[in-house]
Amino acid sequence: MADLSPPPLPNTPWQGSLDLKFAADRTRVTKLTHCESVAPYKVQRAFPCTDGTSQVVLLHTAGGMVSGDRLNLTAQLAPKAQALLTTAAAGKVYRATEDKTTFQTATIHLAENARLEWLPQETILFDQARFHQSLRINLGAGAQVLLWDVVRLGRTAHGESFLEGMWRSHTEVWQDGRPLWIDRSCLRASPELWEGAEGLGGRAIVGTLVWIGGGIDQEGFEGLRGLDQWPGSCGGMTRLPYGMVCRYRGSSSTEVRRWFVQVWRHIRGELWHCPLETPRIWMM
Amino acid sequence: MQTALLRLLQLTSPSLPIGAYSYSEGLETLCEQGVMGDRAALQSWLTHELTAGSVRLDGAILCRTYQGQDPIAWNQWLTASRESAELLAQSLQMGRSLLRLFQALEPDWEEIEPLMAADCHGAVAFSRAAWRWNIPLEEALLGYLHSWTSNMVSAGIKLIPLGQTAGQQVLLDLGAVIEGVIPNICSSKITN
Repeated sequence: MADLSPPPLPNTPWQGSLDLKFAADRTRVTKLTHCESVAPYKVQRAFPCTDGTSQVVLLHTAGGMVSGDRLNLTAQLAPKAQALLTTAAAGKVYRATEDKTTFQTATIHLAENARLEWLPQETILFDQARFHQSLRINLGAGAQVLLWDVVRLGRTAHGESFLEGMWRSHTEVWQDGRPLWIDRSCLRASPELWEGAEGLGGRAIVGTLVWIGGGIDQEGFEGLRGLDQWPGSCGGMTRLPYGMVCRYRGSSSTEVRRWFVQVWRHIRGELWHCPLETPRIWMM
Repeated sequence: MQTALLRLLQLTSPSLPIGAYSYSEGLETLCEQGVMGDRAALQSWLTHELTAGSVRLDGAILCRTYQGQDPIAWNQWLTASRESAELLAQSLQMGRSLLRLFQALEPDWEEIEPLMAADCHGAVAFSRAAWRWNIPLEEALLGYLHSWTSNMVSAGIKLIPLGQTAGQQVLLDLGAVIEGVIPNICSSKITN
């Protein structure tokens, strides 16, 4: 994977952007009807899944984000549109220079009864990176979103810990001007936070899976709790007033990916009754 | 001044019947997992909770609703931010119990009905009760954080277990942490 030499630094930071629109046709097949991109952000490919969902693979052509870069995505889903967004590869955020923060923002509007799956691959923060990610989703009536986010703090494969730097994450789901899910966190790295039980406890990988807007009853929730890829004490799962959430803090991206993919497959198959093949780019 | 102080003491007393003593907010699990084994671990944990944990968010929203910002909207914010079903149930139970108590203590207080109808969190109910009793904001916030900390220390004493004196030492040490976070919480920015 990543080598330890510093990445080449462009003279000016990238300001990539993507604007997407999705609409469902009369046969309930969703199409990507509008795509405007500014490098290095682009759509690698978009194609229909067997259930009519539009699957879009996002690509960051520069390979990683340097200090001061900004990536911005906006998207709209028309009524009843169904879209699954993922990324072609793990995201990388390099060490910050001059304390400049890297920003990644996404704002997605879902019209009534639309459904979004926001399932990017993991993001790797190099030690001393400063990264602010923000995801805001507005749900129309009857709309729902299933999203996950997995972050690796430090290139642990190289023995690197995340001892300096900053990771700020804002994930919010709103409906009719009301917040349904507010998940804001800020991790200012330090040796104490890295080691401490109330911090990372020496575990580099943090993941969250949230499903909001669908509503899940106790029976459905018990089905999710019973899945065999549950990572024991590294994972937690709870019901929320408007959905459910899974949290992971551990040391294996394979472990969290297997768990989240299994939860996603279970929701798709047992609760939405539209099973889908696991996208090949997630294969483990 | 004397009246406000007396009322703050009443509102933050462990004898206030809102059930705070029945919660450990995860300390029990941490003790079972062997993560929380001594006084230093408890103090470190509580320091971190006060400076970066969800009780800090409670405090920030307490300030807003005390000052008259839409309590129903901020209450919804707390619901959307609660990490687990158990923590949500705890917060709503404490809010409900405090409002029920104030229905009896302050029968003319019209604000209670809409708060009751909104599934009110403990921090929001506390802020409006403190406002009703003319307790100054910073003192109310200080009292809220002290009361929360004191309750967590009591849970730690029972679960770890620790001696009573060690528990009091932790509470004394955390006083500086509480004083330190108050200006920060009061000026914290939460924007929609």
